[in-house]
Amino acid sequence: MTSTFTRRTVLQSAAIGAAAIGAPWVAKAQAATLKITTWGGKWGDIMKSEVLPAFEKEMKCKVEADQAFPYIPKLAASPPKDPLYDVLHSNSNEQWSALEQGLVMDKITAKEVPNIKDVYPYAVSEKIVGVTIFTSAVGLGFRTDRNLTPIKSWKDFADPKLSGQRGGYQIPVNSLGQAHLMLLGQLYGKGMTDLDPAYKALEQLKPMKLVDFTGQMEKLLLQGEVAVGIIHDSGVYRYDGQNQPIDFVAPSEGVLSLEQVLNVTPGSKVKELAFAYIDYMLRPDVQKKLAEAVWYSPANKNVKLDPKYDAKLYNTPEKVAQLIQVDWKWFNAHKDEVDARVARIMRG
Amino acid sequence: MRALVLGRVAYRAINALVLFFLLAPLAVVVVFALNPTPFIQFPPIGVTSRWFAKFFASPDFMNSLALSLQVAAATVVLAMLVGASAALAIARGGLPGARLITALFLAPLMLPAILTGLALFQVVLSLGFGRPVWALVAGHTVVAVPYVIRTTLAVLADFDRRIEEAAASLGATPLRVFFEVTLPLIRPGVIAGGIFAFIVSFDQFPISLFLVAPNRETLPIVMFNYMKFDLDGTIAAASMVSILLALAVVLTIDRVVGLRATMKI
Repeated sequence: MTSTFTRRTVLQSAAIGAAAIGAPWVAKAQAATLKITTWGGKWGDIMKSEVLPAFEKEMKCKVEADQAFPYIPKLAASPPKDPLYDVLHSNSNEQWSALEQGLVMDKITAKEVPNIKDVYPYAVSEKIVGVTIFTSAVGLGFRTDRNLTPIKSWKDFADPKLSGQRGGYQIPVNSLGQAHLMLLGQLYGKGMTDLDPAYKALEQLKPMKLVDFTGQMEKLLLQGEVAVGIIHDSGVYRYDGQNQPIDFVAPSEGVLSLEQVLNVTPGSKVKELAFAYIDYMLRPDVQKKLAEAVWYSPANKNVKLDPKYDAKLYNTPEKVAQLIQVDWKWFNAHKDEVDARVARIMRG
Repeated sequence: MRALVLGRVAYRAINALVLFFLLAPLAVVVVFALNPTPFIQFPPIGVTSRWFAKFFASPDFMNSLALSLQVAAATVVLAMLVGASAALAIARGGLPGARLITALFLAPLMLPAILTGLALFQVVLSLGFGRPVWALVAGHTVVAVPYVIRTTLAVLADFDRRIEEAAASLGATPLRVFFEVTLPLIRPGVIAGGIFAFIVSFDQFPISLFLVAPNRETLPIVMFNYMKFDLDGTIAAASMVSILLALAVVLTIDRVVGLRATMKI
C-alpha cells in the first residue's frame, strides 16, 4: 500500500478542515433537510429560483420551504421535539405569539448568527423576538389623481374631506390595523398603550373601507375605491414603472415598522443549519437581491442598494430612526379586549 | 286570465333574479380574468389573455393543478369504494346500531372542516408520517365518503330486492348477482356521489390547508397564498379554469356512463 500524499491533496484536505472549523454547520449539515416557512408572491419566486438553491448548494443540504399558511397553528400542532419547521419566518406580532407558546427561541445573538453584528439596532431590539431581516415602512398610500390636500401627518388621515375614501384593516386579523390603533394612542393619547384616545380617534375615521390583508388594500387603491389607505411602502413601490396613479407618503410622526423576522424553533434537530440560514439571509448580497426584488428595507447596515431603491428604502441611520416599533407582547396580552372594543366601534 | 299572466311574469322574474344571484359572481370572475387591468374594473377596458398565459406559464399553478386532479381522482375512487360498501352494509347488513354507524360516517359533514383538517394533521404527524400525498388523499376521502353514502343509500331505499332474488334463483352466484344486478342498479347513486366527491376534493381548502406538504400544494392552497401577495387577474383565470375543469369532468362522466340516463335528469 502506497501513500499518495501530494501537495495538492494536502492543501485540499487542509482547506476542507479549515472550512469545517470556521463553519461547523458545513461539516454537520451533510444531506440535512432544513424546514422553513417563507412568503409567496415575488418573494417566493426569488427564494425558490435563486436564494434557496444557492444556499442548498453552499451548505450541501436540502431546504423544504412551506408557503402555505397558517404557520403557527401547524407548528403548534407538531411535536415540540420534532417541530414542523426549523426556521419560522413571520411578522413580529406572530413571533411574539409563537414565543408565548414556546414555539420559537427568545433571542438570537451574533454568537449564533455572526451577521447580526451588522444589523441596525431595531432588528434585534427588545421589541423583536428572533432577528429582523427586512422591514417595510407602514405609512399612507394615496391616489395621485384626486387632487387631495397634500398628506403630511397621520392626523391628515382623519380629514373629514376623506370621509368614505379611507382604507384601513380588520383590526382583529391584521397587524397593520393593530399597529395603527396603537399609533393612534401615541398620536392622541399618552402613548401606544393608551388606547381610550385611540378608540375615539378610530371612531372619527369612520366610515372607512376595511380589508383583511395588504394585497386587498393595494387593489382598493389601484381601483380608486379608496383615496388614502394605510399600507406598507413595498405595497405601493412594487407598482413602480407601471404608470399607476398611486404613491406613498411617510407621515412626519414616523412610520410603523413591519418587520420580517426569522427565528429558530427550540426543538429543531438542525439548529446550526438553521442559524446558518439566518446568517445567509443577512448577507449583504442576499439582502440586496431580495430588497430590490420586493422593495423591502434591508436590516444589514452594509447593504449598498441601487440608487432607485436607495432613495426610498429605510437604509440609513437617519431613515431607520423614523421607524416606530410596536410592543407586540403588550398588544397580544390585551388582544381579546381590543378586539371586543373595536368590534363595538365598527358595528356602531 | 290576467292574473295568470301576471303570475307567470312574476314567476319568471323571480327565476331570473335567483339565476342572477347565482351567476353574478361567475360574471365578475370572467370580467376580472379577461380585463387587462391587474384589478377588478367595471366596465372592463378591453380583453386580454395575459392572465391565462401567466396561469399556464406558472410552474406553481401547473404543478398544483396536476396534483389537485390526481388527488381528486384518487379520492373519487376511494370514496366510491368505501362509500358504496358502507352504504350496502348499512342498508343490507342488518348491523346493530346501523343509525349510529350512519351518523358516524356523516360526522365529517357536521364538524367544521378546519377542525377535521387540524385533527388529521396531528394524527399523521404524531404517527411520524410527515405530510405525504396519501395523507392528503385520505383526508379528502374522509370528507367525500359521506356524499357517496348518502346518494347510494337514497338509491338503495328504492331498491327492489326481488330482482336479486330472481337472479339468484336462476343460478347466479352471489358475486355475479352483485356485479350484474346490484351494482348496475345502485350505479346512479354511486356515480352521483363520485361527482360530489370530485368537486369536494378539487375545491377542498380547510383539509388541504393542514395536509399539503411544501412544494406539493393543491390548487386552492396555491390560489389562497397567491392572493395574499399578488391579487391580479391570474386568480380569476385560475378560478375559470377550475370551474371549466369541474364542468368538463361532469360532462365527461355524462358522456362515458350516461349520467343523464342513470340519474334520471
